[in-house]
Amino acid sequence: MAWSPKFTQHALCKRIPTWPYADPKDRHVVSYDEYVKTGGYEGLRKALTMKPGDVTEAVKKSMLRGRGGAGFPTGLKWTFLPKLDEGQDDLSKRGPRYLAINADESEPGTFKDRLLMDFDPHLVLEGIAICCYACRLDKAFIFIRGEYHHQAHVLEKAIAEAYDNGIFGPKGLINSNANTGGAKFTVDCYVHRGAGAYICGEETALLEGLEGKRGWPRIKPPFPAVEGLFGKPTIINNVETLAHLPSIVENGPEWFMAQGVESTVGGPPSYGTKLMGVSGHVNRPGVYEFELGIPLRTLIEDYCGGIRGGKKYKAAIPGGVSMGILGTDQYEAELDFDIGRKYNVLGLGTACPTVFDEDTDMVAVARNISRFFKHESCGQCTPCREGSGWLYQLMTRIEEGHAKTKDLDMALEIATSMGSMPGTTICGLADGNNWALRTIMNKFRDEFETRVSPSHVAVKMTIGAAAHG
Amino acid sequence: MAWIPKPSASMKIERRDEPYLTQAMKDELSQRYLPRFETTLAALLPALHMIQHEYHWVPPQAMEEIAEFLGLSPADVLDTATFYEEYALAPRGRHVVGVCRSIACEFCGQPQVTQAIKDTLGIDVGETTADGKVCLVELECLGSCGTAPAALIDEELHEQLTPQRAAELVRQVRSQDAPPPASGREGLAPETASNAPKGASKSAPKSAH
Repeated sequence: MAWSPKFTQHALCKRIPTWPYADPKDRHVVSYDEYVKTGGYEGLRKALTMKPGDVTEAVKKSMLRGRGGAGFPTGLKWTFLPKLDEGQDDLSKRGPRYLAINADESEPGTFKDRLLMDFDPHLVLEGIAICCYACRLDKAFIFIRGEYHHQAHVLEKAIAEAYDNGIFGPKGLINSNANTGGAKFTVDCYVHRGAGAYICGEETALLEGLEGKRGWPRIKPPFPAVEGLFGKPTIINNVETLAHLPSIVENGPEWFMAQGVESTVGGPPSYGTKLMGVSGHVNRPGVYEFELGIPLRTLIEDYCGGIRGGKKYKAAIPGGVSMGILGTDQYEAELDFDIGRKYNVLGLGTACPTVFDEDTDMVAVARNISRFFKHESCGQCTPCREGSGWLYQLMTRIEEGHAKTKDLDMALEIATSMGSMPGTTICGLADGNNWALRTIMNKFRDEFETRVSPSHVAVKMTIGAAAHG
Repeated sequence: MAWIPKPSASMKIERRDEPYLTQAMKDELSQRYLPRFETTLAALLPALHMIQHEYHWVPPQAMEEIAEFLGLSPADVLDTATFYEEYALAPRGRHVVGVCRSIACEFCGQPQVTQAIKDTLGIDVGETTADGKVCLVELECLGSCGTAPAALIDEELHEQLTPQRAAELVRQVRSQDAPPPASGREGLAPETASNAPKGASKSAPKSAH
């Protein structure tokens, strides 16, 4: 059955020219004026006419799931915040509450948030303002990775424009409104630059980074919604998740739910569109926006111009290396939140497929991925710190041809014991390492086996008199 | 290298009279950054970014100055500084060429790009050229998988590199004649560093942001 989009308009890429509806060559930074002219900040204006609780309800009803990788329902996450009593809108009568925006996009293969920050920063800022209004958050910190110098500048400039135009600051949120019960409610928004640590993309490590400490993930509970940044209630959302909010509020949750697909395995649905950054051996790599549920084959063959050099598809990582790998026979996999249960990978992740052609050496892929995890393990939990190093050594040994068959089983055992066993590590980094290597080794076992020598070698020996005879 | 400790125990602290943390930096910290946060510790990343941006490494003396300014123990500063890869705790070259070695880049031609840069500069990954101008490092994912291979040269990202283009870029970077700040090169090429006037940093103090 051929897949076709239900909507022929982009929601997130409305102002960012993107295939197949516009030419990416025309991309430029959307300024505040241009953003407003093209219907920008209408979502925020509409949200401000609603009660904060109603905005949260709308987002909850839309079943928007977090776009940062885990797919946790955003509206549900917001309801974990402690309830505010009547009249507590005024900051002076309570402690501050924070929003931390996860723009620490560092997973290999993932480059989708960058598109929004590069070209349409106000879409993100509008999402931030809506989230802060709905959840009554006073300060928003955009934690952006240190390597994104250009994006940090673009955001800083956009934030300055937003301060000038009544979004943030004392004269902000379009000059306040009636729904705060007359109390003054303002939002401040800042850019905070990370300094080159993948682990800071983990939500509690991100908070540690914001607090100026080592990016070591915290043990949960307490969850950040209760005790987060500086020990205060904090919501952490991905850039793309927040960018979805303006259109959801403006068009209503039903509009959002009309896109995407229902779950076919009894899980929560995958509604809405998703930015999909395709990389690797395809003719036209880049970021696309499609409804969830698009089959990988359709995405690659119909929209990305097929595999480079007319070669055949071999494998793809669905969304960031920690998600595992889709095998050669899983080319038809639908990119939605069911993918984990249907195709034996960890999950959809960021839905940014990295595609490999038939000539790719999967052992080299495994070695590259294990090197990444070894390099980025924060070192807090022993199974991850040591295990990732051992796995890298094993993968290098296999690639160089010095390994034995038993090393394959040892690698699988290490991966499983550091990742799959519950409670071994604080965060999910070891889990990602485990899934990545285990799925590659299981789905391409024959490639690994041809690179190793047998563990058991029969030696012919002659013992006794005949040996000396 | 998030968890491998940098050689802080064997670090030799070279001191100079002129503070690394200038008054302009202090002003920016206290006016722009400190009001945002509930703790002074939270301003540490911005402070270290300023130092790194200005001097291209984070001298131990600067860490002590930051600690004093923010009311922290120097160990707190060192604790954080050793964790984040972007902060160089030893002098590196004036320009840092960081080639992305992650999955999309490696399988779209990064090894050839790195080789071309190595051949052009005559150094290996992790080394600095003898004139102290260019340092070559390999980084993990730079977020340009769709335009692989990519390299971050100082603060500018270059995408869709070919070996020829990469070689040309590093040649350009190397031939830029802005004299490196004296402070950034001590211990690397002392004979040239001593010729430069003390603290003769050409660029005006800029924020890291």
